[in-house]
Amino acid sequence: MSERGLTADHVSYAYASGTPVLHDVTARVASGGLVGILGPNGSGKTTLLRLFAGLLSPLEGRVLLDGIDMKMLPRRDVSRRMAMVPQETQLAFDYTVLEMAVMGRYPHLGAFEIEGPDDIDIAREALRATGTLHLESRLFTSLSGGEKQRVVIAGALAQLGKRGPHFLLLLDEPTASLDLAYQLEIRSILAALNHERGLTIVVSTHDLNLAASLCRDLILLDRGRVLASGPTASMLDAELIRRLYGVEVDIATNARTGRLTVIPVSRASDARSS
Amino acid sequence: MAAHTKSLILAALLGFVVPLCVESPLAQTPPQRIISIIPSTTEMLFAMGAGPRVVGVGNFDRYPPEAGTRTKVGGLVDPDVERILSLRPDLVVMYGTQTDLRTQMNRAGIPIFLYRHAGLADITTTIRQLGVRVGSVKESTVLADRIEADIADVKRRVAGRPRPRTLLVFGRDAETLRGIYASGGIGFLHDMLEAAGGVNVFADIKRESIQTTSELAVARAPEVIVEIGIDTASTSARNLRAWDALPSIPAVRTKRIYELRGDGMMNPGPRISASVRRMAEVLHRDAFTGSDPRTGGGLQGLGRTATSDPRTSTGVRPR
Amino acid sequence: MNVGRRIAATWLLFGSCAVLACLLAPLVGSTRISFWRVFDSSVPFTENTDAQIFFVARLPRVLAAAIVGSALAASGVVLQALLRNPLATPFTLGVSAGAALGAMLALTLNLSSGIAGFSAVPLASFAGSLGAVAIVYALARARHRGLSTNVLLLAGVTLNSFFSALILFVQFLSDFTQTFRTVRWLMGDLDVSSYVPLMAAAPPIALSFGAFAVLPRSMNLLSVSDENAATRGVDVHRTQRLAFLSASLATGAAVSLGGPVGFIGIVVPHLVRLMVGADHRLVLPAAAFGGAAFLVACDTVSRTALAPLEIPVGVVTAIIGGPFFLWLLIRSR
Repeated sequence: MSERGLTADHVSYAYASGTPVLHDVTARVASGGLVGILGPNGSGKTTLLRLFAGLLSPLEGRVLLDGIDMKMLPRRDVSRRMAMVPQETQLAFDYTVLEMAVMGRYPHLGAFEIEGPDDIDIAREALRATGTLHLESRLFTSLSGGEKQRVVIAGALAQLGKRGPHFLLLLDEPTASLDLAYQLEIRSILAALNHERGLTIVVSTHDLNLAASLCRDLILLDRGRVLASGPTASMLDAELIRRLYGVEVDIATNARTGRLTVIPVSRASDARSS
Repeated sequence: MAAHTKSLILAALLGFVVPLCVESPLAQTPPQRIISIIPSTTEMLFAMGAGPRVVGVGNFDRYPPEAGTRTKVGGLVDPDVERILSLRPDLVVMYGTQTDLRTQMNRAGIPIFLYRHAGLADITTTIRQLGVRVGSVKESTVLADRIEADIADVKRRVAGRPRPRTLLVFGRDAETLRGIYASGGIGFLHDMLEAAGGVNVFADIKRESIQTTSELAVARAPEVIVEIGIDTASTSARNLRAWDALPSIPAVRTKRIYELRGDGMMNPGPRISASVRRMAEVLHRDAFTGSDPRTGGGLQGLGRTATSDPRTSTGVRPR
Repeated sequence: MNVGRRIAATWLLFGSCAVLACLLAPLVGSTRISFWRVFDSSVPFTENTDAQIFFVARLPRVLAAAIVGSALAASGVVLQALLRNPLATPFTLGVSAGAALGAMLALTLNLSSGIAGFSAVPLASFAGSLGAVAIVYALARARHRGLSTNVLLLAGVTLNSFFSALILFVQFLSDFTQTFRTVRWLMGDLDVSSYVPLMAAAPPIALSFGAFAVLPRSMNLLSVSDENAATRGVDVHRTQRLAFLSASLATGAAVSLGGPVGFIGIVVPHLVRLMVGADHRLVLPAAAFGGAAFLVACDTVSRTALAPLEIPVGVVTAIIGGPFFLWLLIRSR
């Protein structure tokens, strides 16, 4: 049981140019969890997420999915249960919203198979779940940033197709560059996907408040190393945040939402040189 | 050299035609240091005995062989002005289209003779004009007269005979039927064909060169095909086999396809009468019994370059 | 919006366009021929002018146009997906420059003898294109296991410039006739007048089309991003390799057959996308058939507009292509 989910086991990674990105990172995403990878820009969040997604191979260490080294798992099997939403999607071609969602079904199709009515239904259901069904005939490129992001999430949902912690959704900075209203929307969509559908969700973000309000567990990354990891309440500690961001903060529970909020106060006096 | 001679001719065929203009009246003494950058005028000068006074020739001027010993000063597109000036010429024979060179010669005060490429008759006209210009009036008159007489003789021999419809090809991708260029209804190649007793299948198209597609060749149905200006090393047999793809062409059916190799064939110079004769010989063999290779005064042979195929050494190769 | 049905409809509609073009075009030309006389078997072939014109002069030419048009349009689609850029053409990555250099050299050196009945210029041209592909591929692979599309683009553009310079140099060295011939070759020439060049070009193009057949779904994913494709089960490196090599092979063979006929690789994909959308399972077959019909039509114009003279087919496609893009630009404002 403890093996279910994603595990990074003493993972190190560097770019082809030699720039080191992650050092000896060990982190766990429990099955059914809602985990945030938190850290400032350049801390290696996206790289860790991509390692979890199987897009990258670690130079040292292993990445395990349900206890099995991901290098051993067939790419197709992984793509049927794990979907990734990148930070932004730029299109050079005029795909419609529905076509984008249906692309999520491709891993489930045979070599020359064409998506059937079931697949279309799943795709449309996914669009409905993210509130974008009414856009299905529109061109993806004509949407606003928030709409685009929701459509991409819908595509990821269509890819997973089912419910349960066996299916994983990975998102890279899902709210960066979005308006406040859309940020809230994305937040509640993700929360619902985890609570109601039971999906395992991993989010990489530098937004402290998103992490605070959404994630149950956090992995704090500081310049490629794990600073700390554990339940959100423990991780959102003023001292940890000062070390991570060089900022003095107040952490409070908001009366209206009942959720933790982080309020930046000032730069730390012994600010890190970053 | 064959290809380069032909190249300059082709340059003219493709539309570089400028009104002839003989600059500056006859000087007191005839020019002693002549530069000619055009293969045909170089030949003309040597043929009229002005060779010793030629100090510079074009890059592609190889005939007569003595011309090869003179300093090379460039060609149509790239005349070497520095070298021309360094030879201190008192006459430069150039194309009328070479406006830059003309300007520079005018600026240097060097007299020039402008050459225009045109029809068959203009060849002897140019010889005469050039003769006057360089002070070789007698020799040039003799030369021109002899050429005209030769051509007239050919015309006489073929007069009254049925004139075959002929396709005159001067360029083709070797061993294929692609990139066929044939003579249109104007220009000296067309004149040559008519003088040799043939009728140009493209006589109605008033262009000097026509890119002939296979459909066009079939549609015009020539009775004879004459190929000149061939510069491939491939043997005639192999090269001509390409025409077998179009057996409905009468020339192909009756096997009347002739290759006339040799670099003189397309040169509008003093050897032109020999070329006309060679062409007439294949069109009307029976009018030229005993193959009489009149060299026509002052010429050094008929431009029959030896090829690897002995059967073409006489310049006539019935298909 | 059943994709399966739309795919079938696309094949049917565009396929019949292409077939129709190929059937009608040989009957049209500067010389009038009679359909009945062409197929009149009582007249021996060697005397049947109409049949000769149809079977020897026109039909190979129409088939060549179909093959070249199809190959260039399809390759255009594949490369646009690979490079994620709808302005990419089959010539962007240097393949046609390599083919042109090969052809220039063959024309300038007056290479005459081919191999096994295939003549020198197309062979040299094909060899040149393969050389260019090899160089670009090696350059693009140098740093990574897969093909970085940025490096690919850069390598291709660099090679284009370099080969173009070499081509100019070769033209400078050659005499006037050869220069004219090479310039003329660059304008495209489909007058093959024999089935041999078609048989030579068919195998590599067929091979490429075989690869194209398995690409469309992956191309949908890849055209969004590498990540999008990788997280959805596509072997990105392998697919990129397959797309690049097959599109380059088809382009090289097409250019060797008919010269570098421009605009097909970008006009046809654009037009097709306006009609069927962006799904490559529709775009690719539509472009393949549409490209064939398009070039057959252009070739027919090229040999009838100024009859008996012929406009080089590359000039016809350029005359159509230029205003087309102007129209696109105006329309999109």
